[in-house]
Amino acid sequence: MLRCAFFRFAATCEKVGLASRTSRALPLEFFIAPYNDFIERKVMSFEPKILGIACNWCTYTGADLAGTTRLQYPPNVRVVRVMCSSRINPSFIFRALQFGADGVLVGGCHPGDCHYNTGNLYARRRLATTKKILEFAGIEQGRFRVEWISASEGNRFAEVIEEFTTQIKNLGPQTKLKIQE
Amino acid sequence: MLKKKAIEKIPELAAALMDKGSLLAPVKEASGHNFAEIKDPQKVDLNFYNTIMSPKGAFFPHKEDFIKYNTGKPTSEAEQIEVDPKPVFLFGVRPCDVRSFSIMDIHFNAAGIVDPYWSQRRKATTVFGYAYDLNQPVDATDFYNSLGIYAADTEGSDIFMVKTDKDLLLKGITPKGEELLAKLNTLVDAGGDDEKYFEETLKKGKEYKTRFLCIDQDVIAKKLEAIFDNNDFWTKASSACLSCGACTFVCPNCYCFDICDDTMFSKGTRRRVWDACMFTDFTLEASGHNPRTQVFQRLRQKINHKYSYHVKKYGVISCVGCGRCTRSCPVNIDIYSIIEEALKV
Amino acid sequence: MTDFKKIEENLKKEAKRLLESGEVTVVLAYGKGFDEQHPMPYAAKSVADVENIVFNEYCTYNMARYLVRYPQGTKIAIAVKAADSRAVVQLIQEEKVKRENLVLLGIPVTGMKNSKTGEAIDSKTTCGMVNPVLYDVLLSEEIHGQKPVSPYDVLAEYEAMDNDARWEFWKSQLDKCIRCYACRKACPMCYCDPCFIDQLKPKWADKAPQSPGNIMYHLTRFHHLAGRCIDCGECSRACPVDIPLYLFHKKVAKECEEMFKQASGMSIEDKPVLVNFRVEDSDKILE
Repeated sequence: MLRCAFFRFAATCEKVGLASRTSRALPLEFFIAPYNDFIERKVMSFEPKILGIACNWCTYTGADLAGTTRLQYPPNVRVVRVMCSSRINPSFIFRALQFGADGVLVGGCHPGDCHYNTGNLYARRRLATTKKILEFAGIEQGRFRVEWISASEGNRFAEVIEEFTTQIKNLGPQTKLKIQE
Repeated sequence: MLKKKAIEKIPELAAALMDKGSLLAPVKEASGHNFAEIKDPQKVDLNFYNTIMSPKGAFFPHKEDFIKYNTGKPTSEAEQIEVDPKPVFLFGVRPCDVRSFSIMDIHFNAAGIVDPYWSQRRKATTVFGYAYDLNQPVDATDFYNSLGIYAADTEGSDIFMVKTDKDLLLKGITPKGEELLAKLNTLVDAGGDDEKYFEETLKKGKEYKTRFLCIDQDVIAKKLEAIFDNNDFWTKASSACLSCGACTFVCPNCYCFDICDDTMFSKGTRRRVWDACMFTDFTLEASGHNPRTQVFQRLRQKINHKYSYHVKKYGVISCVGCGRCTRSCPVNIDIYSIIEEALKV
Repeated sequence: MTDFKKIEENLKKEAKRLLESGEVTVVLAYGKGFDEQHPMPYAAKSVADVENIVFNEYCTYNMARYLVRYPQGTKIAIAVKAADSRAVVQLIQEEKVKRENLVLLGIPVTGMKNSKTGEAIDSKTTCGMVNPVLYDVLLSEEIHGQKPVSPYDVLAEYEAMDNDARWEFWKSQLDKCIRCYACRKACPMCYCDPCFIDQLKPKWADKAPQSPGNIMYHLTRFHHLAGRCIDCGECSRACPVDIPLYLFHKKVAKECEEMFKQASGMSIEDKPVLVNFRVEDSDKILE
């Protein structure tokens, strides 16, 4: 059954121009490739808990699109929906980090495209300030990220999640702000 | 029996006390001196005028956990936190602060309901009173003479200490203190000269003058009652007040606290933390009504509580004239001046 | 060298004039404390009160913090030094007071000292400006020819630290906090009622003076003052346990100035930076 899956995969790659016909030979790596992630996850035992805050009209819809097109991305980001990125009170970020989040990812509409016209323009200023405050307090820069992801950018959403999760994995668990019980 | 210890050898005394229990003594911090639990005997520092925070934290900590619970579980499964029964030595307490303990006892020990946490800590603690250095000028903010306390009062201490140029002299005042002194082998017996110096210091302490307001406490209590509705006076007195709470937290006689249930996810702790009548929401009621929204009302409450209501209820002013409130006030409000002005109205 | 006696005289003269003519109902200035080195903030409401006004090098208080206590529409005269005038400008920007209800008595001054420690105060702990940015009457001559010093020089040491060292520094400093809220009350910009820390729904931090609550309180407060703090240093002077809050506020002020090209409290025509945006804002600030 695995072989069938592999052949199907190789055929699709060929079809879309990603590989030549010779790729239908059977190197071991190709076999394991779809399971790489799974193995990595079990071997590297740190599974970060990441809070994702997504604006309803753009990023959340983009996340939806990533889902309907069956894009694969790590499951570590817990997404919370807000109506607009300017709903985000910077205290949410501090609180998330205190409650054990290893990273916080905020997604909103591209500046200029906010459903409410100007929300993300305020959010950009506000969250930039939050970033600077976290930096001066000594929290690693890579733990808080703001991305503008529109409703049609399903791939981009998956990409950002992938990148950010890897980044947080490399940074390790967040212990500075986390409330130790 | 008078004992003594050379000043350079005080760390040995500290180490001996640390062996017997927990030692709380003044240490030098960036902003001044404060009582702290001693882990390194070298850190004990007796070269100070007075600490920033009062020693009431030894009996009434800023934060005290009572119960640990899990939400959704029955109350019977909650864990009660016991007071550590280890003996505590409170070292280097000025006479005015020692007096504050007996005034606080009224609230925690003697007025009907006994606070077990305070009482247990009081019983386990030996208080080492420490005379003010009579060769140093008195601080302009102190006024403990007005409350009947002197610079070398032994009242309330278990052991009383006086510093000479070379030694620290220690004398047992209560049986508890005497017993402890007898057990401390690191101390040496003091000679006749030292005895004379000690007695003289106690006498000269009475002549070491702080600011003095001849307060007959009933007179002041009645006067404050009479001017309660004088909004002009209180607005003027409180015009600079920020209503912050710094004075309450450094005061050795302030005892208000708040009980909170701090829950995080499914685990929580019931604890008490210091509260301050100067906070805006101190009297905020569940209905949303707040009888003391104005700063002058809160300042009036604080002064009246200490100098009027407390006298009426318990017969003693709830203040020892240590001067900490004035020193810590961000706008230099002086409670002594307010009382002075009040008497003139 | 600033002539404090002259300024005190002029202050008293102006206060008397304004109160007599009825132009204002209260003059916010400085008064006698329990001794020379410890003056207090003072509100003169009548001509007789003017006698009690003093001015010396220990009058560091930012009188703008008392402006919000008076009902809207009260005519107030206020003695302002450089940073204090910026605070008034910021409050006007935020529409807490109206320009026409205020008479600003500007005091250009150098040589101020901390009334608790006697230390000289300079641009390390304040904004470093000497002349008020807004005034109706100047109580002494503007001071020029001062060596320009950036108020952000003191940050160099902390910006050079690595993350872990900086975290250790701030954790140990904020652990000292006893949650007396003197910093909040000393600040002219902290006028929110209720303050976020007093709210129970949601409960942002618990009341106990321990690490998590202290950090939440201070970090959030630094954020709430972003682009609004005018660097008067009063919060740090008010702190009974000497936490160097001015360092963090300066850092946030510096970043806001760089990112949004606007310093706080400089012109009454400006809008506060975090309730504004410009077309030129770029995504670079998020990096």
